[in-house]
Amino acid sequence: MLALRLARGSHPLVLLRRLTVAAASAGVGFLLLSAMAHALAHPGESSASLLRLLWCAVPLAATVHLAVAVARTDPGTRPRPGLSAIGLGPARLTAIAATTTALSTALGSMVALLVFLHLRGDLTGLPFDDGAGRLLAAGVPLPVGAALTLLAVVPVVSSAAAALTLRPRRVRPGGETDPDRPAEPASAPTGLPWGVALIAAGLTAEVYTTPEATAAGGAASAPPLMLPGHFDGSPAGVLAGWTLTALGLALTGPGLTYRCGRLLQGVRPGPTRLLAGRILMEDARRIGRPLGVVCAVAAGGVAAWSLYAAGPRPFGPLTALGAALVVICTTATLFTAALESRTTRAGTAECLLEQGAPAGLLRSAAGLRAAVLLTVFAPLTWTVAMLAAFPLRH
Amino acid sequence: MVAPPDNDVLWARSLHCSYSGAPALAGVSLGVREGEILAVCGARGSGKTTLLRTLSGQLVAEQGEVWFNSAPVHTMSAAARERLRRDRFGWISPEPTLVPELTAWENAALPLLLRGISHRAAKATAVEWLERLDIGAHARTRPYALSQAQRQRVATARALATTPSVLFADEPTATLHQTDRAHVLRTITAAARSHRITVILATHDAEVAGLADRSITLVDGRRVAAAPVITEAEGRAACSLSV
Repeated sequence: MLALRLARGSHPLVLLRRLTVAAASAGVGFLLLSAMAHALAHPGESSASLLRLLWCAVPLAATVHLAVAVARTDPGTRPRPGLSAIGLGPARLTAIAATTTALSTALGSMVALLVFLHLRGDLTGLPFDDGAGRLLAAGVPLPVGAALTLLAVVPVVSSAAAALTLRPRRVRPGGETDPDRPAEPASAPTGLPWGVALIAAGLTAEVYTTPEATAAGGAASAPPLMLPGHFDGSPAGVLAGWTLTALGLALTGPGLTYRCGRLLQGVRPGPTRLLAGRILMEDARRIGRPLGVVCAVAAGGVAAWSLYAAGPRPFGPLTALGAALVVICTTATLFTAALESRTTRAGTAECLLEQGAPAGLLRSAAGLRAAVLLTVFAPLTWTVAMLAAFPLRH
Repeated sequence: MVAPPDNDVLWARSLHCSYSGAPALAGVSLGVREGEILAVCGARGSGKTTLLRTLSGQLVAEQGEVWFNSAPVHTMSAAARERLRRDRFGWISPEPTLVPELTAWENAALPLLLRGISHRAAKATAVEWLERLDIGAHARTRPYALSQAQRQRVATARALATTPSVLFADEPTATLHQTDRAHVLRTITAAARSHRITVILATHDAEVAGLADRSITLVDGRRVAAAPVITEAEGRAACSLSV
């Protein structure tokens, strides 16, 4: 219960982050329950139900990503002198991190179950009773075991991922350095060529598989890739192409961020440019990875929008919920990473203020970093999205 | 408001400071002449750091006045005090606080860059001071690869590179070994004498205080004539013949 006690005294912003995790977990839980409801309502269409369940993996991954990022930045899970003095070392702190993650995600799952039952009409006495009875298979008895298993997925996967990320690292004897020494910087990320190769491979796969898909679709009005609300089938080639492209964008993030920083601090920089560039190089992995994921999501969103926005009913409420979950989770992860970067820069900020640096220096350096990343990543995302959507248009 | 004496570069009158109720400074007054090396002696917790922070404008005293070159520091805005520290003061802290993202010479050149000096001139000055402190070979090394003593030398070079009017050195040799300590102190005092830098040196070491022109002693936030010297341990029998 130490996890609860630590949670009670934490900063509102930390609680807000945990609340975001709980909300995301609730959304994913609801989507999983809806997939189960679809299976209950349509016993004959097992493949369609399975497809719905598989589509839930995307918001699930985004939620786990966010949960791990929040657990990493949680001040309660960092080694602290106050806890270390009473013998709470890295191993117990990992356990606390996993427990905190499990608590917030389980809270979300519980909310999901309540909302699901309420919308089905099983819980009465509130507005919107039976609001989506037809969609959620009202009248069919709910298999309790299946529901609980599906609801346990997010807490189990998130806390396992958090524990795995925060597991105590083995320290070699003599490898321990004095605590005043600044940490050794991470080496330059090397994923850029792989990322570019994956993007190219993904786009190529899509181009090669599209003609068959269109031919199979027959009429020119039928879009070749179906969003999960439709059940006309999704061609595996196009999906694989999009997945490869998204993976490539996510891999490109750190390397591209590092090169941005390198360019920024080159050629006789002033203090602002020097600091902005160096911090960007140092934070290439921490910021670059979630930034790449956000770009991948944005590219997918832009491509899907340009393909389906013109249609009469582009997507249903559950698809909208899933898409919103993915967008919110990845953006929240990026902000959490930015916050983590700021926390680790506390020493730098203190040192600069001691030297009489103007308080605006770090702010303008942060603004410069954001501007550079935006000017590099926004056109890249747009280009990839347009290229991904291009072969699917007629 | 009494105008300070003209020959004092830094002048303070009855400074009072407290940290959440616990008094850190209780009525300290002092004047520092130009080019003087003043040692502020005292045990840990006697208010040395608070006094230096107050004099350098990092902290504003609850009561009392601080004047620098006939300008009142205690009434300045935060931005003006920041500019004053950037343009006229240097600061060395007990632990070397370097920007971990920058190399040794960039760290030493940072105050010059912040003053708007060109990149080339700042680099030349920084490297020159690093060489004077025997660390020129590590000019392109990042702080994580330097030892504590080397980092403290970089911090010293950074403070001296701007040739400030007043250099505040808060226990600059507290974390160093004897040989490094002597070298760093010699460099600071030699630079102060040759460039007419006023130095305010906080220390608990009587040997270090011996290098200064003048020294004052603080005990529990008050200025006293000299530190009380404890010669014998309390409770120990002076004579053990009775055993």
